[in-house]
Amino acid sequence: MRTKLLILGFSMFFSCLYAQNTYNSHAAITSRLKNLATKNNASGSVQSIGKSSGGKDIWLFTLSKGEAAKKPGVLVVAGADGKHPAGTEINLLLLEKLLSLPADSLSSVLSSKTLYFVPALNPDALEQVVNKIKYARSGNATSTDDDRDGQLNEDPFEDLNGDGLITQVRIEDPTGNYILNKKESRLLVKADPSKGEKGKYLLISEGVDNDNDGEFNEDGEGGVNIDQNFTFDYPIFEKGAGEYQASEPETRAILDFLYKSINIHTVLTFGLSNNLSEAPKFDRMKTNKRIVTGILEKDALIGDFVSKMYNSKTGLKDAPAMPQTKGNLTQTAYYHAGRFSFTTPGWWVPKVEEVKDSTKKEAPKPVVAKKEDSSPEADFLKWADKEKIDAFVNWTSIKHPGFEGKKAEVGGIAPYLMQNPPVKYLDSAAVKHQRFLAELLKAMPEVQIVNPKVESLQNGVSRVTVQVLNRGLLPTYAEMGDRVRFVYKVKTEVKLANGQSLISGKKTNYRGALDAGEVIEYSWLVNGKGKLTVEAGCPTAGIQTIELNIK
Amino acid sequence: MKKYILLLMGLVSLTAIAQKDPVISPEDLNGIRAIGSPANPKVKVYWNKYSDQAEITRICQDLAKAYPELVKLESIGKSVEGRDLWVMSISDFKSGNADRKPGFYIDGNIHANELQGTEVALYTAWYLAESFQTVDFIKQLLKDKVFYVIPTINPDSREYFIKSANNPHSSRTGRRAFDEDGDGLTDEDKLDDLDGDGNIVMMRRKSATGRWKIDCDNPQRMIPAKQDEPGEYEMLGYEGIDNDGDGLVNEDATGTYDPNRDWAWNWQPDYVQRGALFYPGTLPETQAIKAFIKKHPNIAGAQSYHNNGGMFLRGPGAAEDDPFYDRADVDVYNFIGKLGERMVPGYKYFVIHKDLYTVYGGEIDWLALNRGVFTFSNELMTSYKLFNDKAAAERGSNQEFEEFDKYLLFGDGYVQWKPFKHPQYGDIEIGGPKKNYLRNHPGFLLMEDAHRNMAFTILHAQQMPKLEVIEVNNKDLGGGLTEVTATVINRRIMPTHSSHDVKYKIERPDYITIKNAEVIAGMIVENEDFNLTKEQKNRPEKLEIRNIPGMGAVKVRWVIKGKSDKAAIEVDSMKGGVVSKTI
Ligand SMILES: [Zn+2]
Repeated sequence: MRTKLLILGFSMFFSCLYAQNTYNSHAAITSRLKNLATKNNASGSVQSIGKSSGGKDIWLFTLSKGEAAKKPGVLVVAGADGKHPAGTEINLLLLEKLLSLPADSLSSVLSSKTLYFVPALNPDALEQVVNKIKYARSGNATSTDDDRDGQLNEDPFEDLNGDGLITQVRIEDPTGNYILNKKESRLLVKADPSKGEKGKYLLISEGVDNDNDGEFNEDGEGGVNIDQNFTFDYPIFEKGAGEYQASEPETRAILDFLYKSINIHTVLTFGLSNNLSEAPKFDRMKTNKRIVTGILEKDALIGDFVSKMYNSKTGLKDAPAMPQTKGNLTQTAYYHAGRFSFTTPGWWVPKVEEVKDSTKKEAPKPVVAKKEDSSPEADFLKWADKEKIDAFVNWTSIKHPGFEGKKAEVGGIAPYLMQNPPVKYLDSAAVKHQRFLAELLKAMPEVQIVNPKVESLQNGVSRVTVQVLNRGLLPTYAEMGDRVRFVYKVKTEVKLANGQSLISGKKTNYRGALDAGEVIEYSWLVNGKGKLTVEAGCPTAGIQTIELNIK
Repeated sequence: MKKYILLLMGLVSLTAIAQKDPVISPEDLNGIRAIGSPANPKVKVYWNKYSDQAEITRICQDLAKAYPELVKLESIGKSVEGRDLWVMSISDFKSGNADRKPGFYIDGNIHANELQGTEVALYTAWYLAESFQTVDFIKQLLKDKVFYVIPTINPDSREYFIKSANNPHSSRTGRRAFDEDGDGLTDEDKLDDLDGDGNIVMMRRKSATGRWKIDCDNPQRMIPAKQDEPGEYEMLGYEGIDNDGDGLVNEDATGTYDPNRDWAWNWQPDYVQRGALFYPGTLPETQAIKAFIKKHPNIAGAQSYHNNGGMFLRGPGAAEDDPFYDRADVDVYNFIGKLGERMVPGYKYFVIHKDLYTVYGGEIDWLALNRGVFTFSNELMTSYKLFNDKAAAERGSNQEFEEFDKYLLFGDGYVQWKPFKHPQYGDIEIGGPKKNYLRNHPGFLLMEDAHRNMAFTILHAQQMPKLEVIEVNNKDLGGGLTEVTATVINRRIMPTHSSHDVKYKIERPDYITIKNAEVIAGMIVENEDFNLTKEQKNRPEKLEIRNIPGMGAVKVRWVIKGKSDKAAIEVDSMKGGVVSKTI
């Protein structure tokens, strides 16, 4: 009896802290979001922005007080590439942490901003993490002919050793061109003939060649990786990219939402590229062509500013280089939708310091890593060993039908783990990113009308002058936004009352993005008396209205 | 008596034909029939006017009803405003599975003010159905191929162009509304038909500082004053008023986008390619057509009708895509395009980005480069047609349209200048070309050009692959084994896969299969004289052929157990159709 109670208490304690110890299924994500919305119905709501090709809802969690669309917004997206459930988990934890802030500190953020969360953009693919057989699946449920031979999924993976994980198979064979990694003997590396190395192993994915075409597992159930299906720099006819740009419902759902949410100033993506640890550099050659492929000059400065903010607020270091990939969401959000767009994996393998000999008191020399020693896989295993994570499936012999009479062994790093650690490691990642997000929100633009002035000229004519100022640390929107049709310009409009008329000055004035601290002045000559209003701003930076009185 | 016999014989033979082909009307067999046209068509259509959605629907439905074995009608989706997107499938449905025949896709009117693409598409459907019994060529064509005809892929805006006030160039877009200035309002400042005549014409105002004057030779026409000469008028643009009081006239009209920039090949955003929306396929019309074409991988050729200028356009739309058109593919286009210049006088064979302008995200590119379909886009109507002659001067300074109006249309082409009191501009005059002049054919030219352009498209369609197993040789290898060698020929200039398709594996390979035989080995014969072969180890009975070239052949070989007398050979090509031969 007592043990039962204890267990019950224990599990309650766990669920309160959201300390689930595995990644979530779509059903679990759904109930997690719905519970959050129920508990926080004053500021949070959940809705579906569309369905995946496999029919799963793509959830949007809106965090806002009052009219969400009327306030500048930040969209936080994760899980575009299904092999990155860690991004989804960080996104969810971040949301949960925001909602557990003291009420007054949360409402001070939400009084002027709206936060949108789409934690699982590619739910079909993300589901693989809870499926019986695990392989790091990127693609949705769309059936694809990955090798374009007219047959669908004719050569999938097989779990040859029955451990539920798809790893690798190594076969001892004179034609193999792999040898053991000298420093980390669990891993294989390509033999380098120029160093006198001779190959010993063939290395293939875990499976058999079902269609006898000499290639292993080249066309399994895979679908389209949403993070390769976006419009910018789209990789034509590449495996996983889909039949054409924006062919997938998930891609269109998020783009429809982004384009129509004209208040979204910044998109933050947890994904498999990183432009936050190190900001992209401005390159004029890439920006002065009809098709722009490099960040614009002013936006590069902002990128730098935000990158410094990121590094100082998260304290994260040693990020592996993760360049932007073709057809991804992050670049499309910037180059095509014209919003600021930042991306980070949120978590990466921490560097394991070599244990130093404490008897020697020399200044630490910069370690020049040897190429063959410092593969990401070796670094990962070093960290996993230190953390006692069971990350490697040890090589064990099997009978492989394609290599009869040969020594074949299944083994390798377990799927997902290198980019998706056990979930307990992600809590601190979420805390760090919450600090960054808070700082980013503080820096958001805010348009204000300042120093309004009414000067009475003669015979009922007055001159009305206002200054429109961006009080934030970020521009009202990205410089790229000034090129994009669906990003709305800064508008200043005078609204006259009955009996008033405009003698000089345009009723409606448009101009491009206002930089941080930038101010612009407008004046009008008005004939008549009484109240008039001036409205200024843009959806990404807020709109302010003031009332003036003409005597 | 002799006369009677002759008459009787005549009657007998007439009756015989009538019995054989009850569909042919007697008028189609006697002297009232003008060659090239059905004399008494089952479906009556006047080809010297434009059709609205109701009339398009009627023609499609009547054709499907009159020719159930030749025309099938379906709606493949709805437009933004909920109109049906009609597709007619036209083939000899009694012979073979139509969706496995080489397919030819035709659409028109993606730009809504470019009306006549619809009429050419409808004329084609009508002509094919009505001529099936009388013209052997058409009979064979519909036996071999299937046509998918969508008369208009922009029905909303077509209806708007026809039924509401427009000018020749307005309403190129669709009807989805976008908020242009972020104020939550759409359509705040549209064109205004000041005099309510259904045409949006020009506004001019007498002015001491104006730089325009009336052309003395042609009072309808406004020309710039000479450099050293005072003008009499200022031009104020198209009919309109500043509806929303922002100091701009006609700046916020419905749907200011281009449906032909909504396609998923090298799609670029609006700042690169004016008219683009959120992503390729933002519009339901585009999505419906893409889904239809993906569902019909048998489509090997396509035509998308536009106006104007008299052109047979091929892709690419952008210079950087030129490398995707290699020699072999260009040769196919050249053959059709150059012959077309003879078939349709005044029309030129052009490449979009070289001879017209750069287009990103156009339909033609998606068809050709994403789907591997040989695609032309005809720009219908050219001023050449007015006097069957090249224009004497550049467009804009030529007078052909005014002269044609004067001598052949008797002034029907223009709204004569007349005074109007404008709320913002004061006393002005309005006048200019009617919306259906300049770009859309005048009635009596419409049918001729529809026929000529249809003929061009039939030439294009006829050159889709036609496969045949022409030779099967058996050789006794001894030991109870037989070697079977078959030759499959393509009798048309279009390959089963464009070079671009082969390179990117767009469509699956062709399969040549031997049936009812126990296959030991299968191979492609690369050179029979030197016995060079390439074995296919997996599934040797079903040989995978990357391509069967235009006017070319492939040879395949199997080694089978026993004799081949029960065997049959089947060729199964997505774009080349299915043919078989029993040995
Ligand atoms: Zn057009």
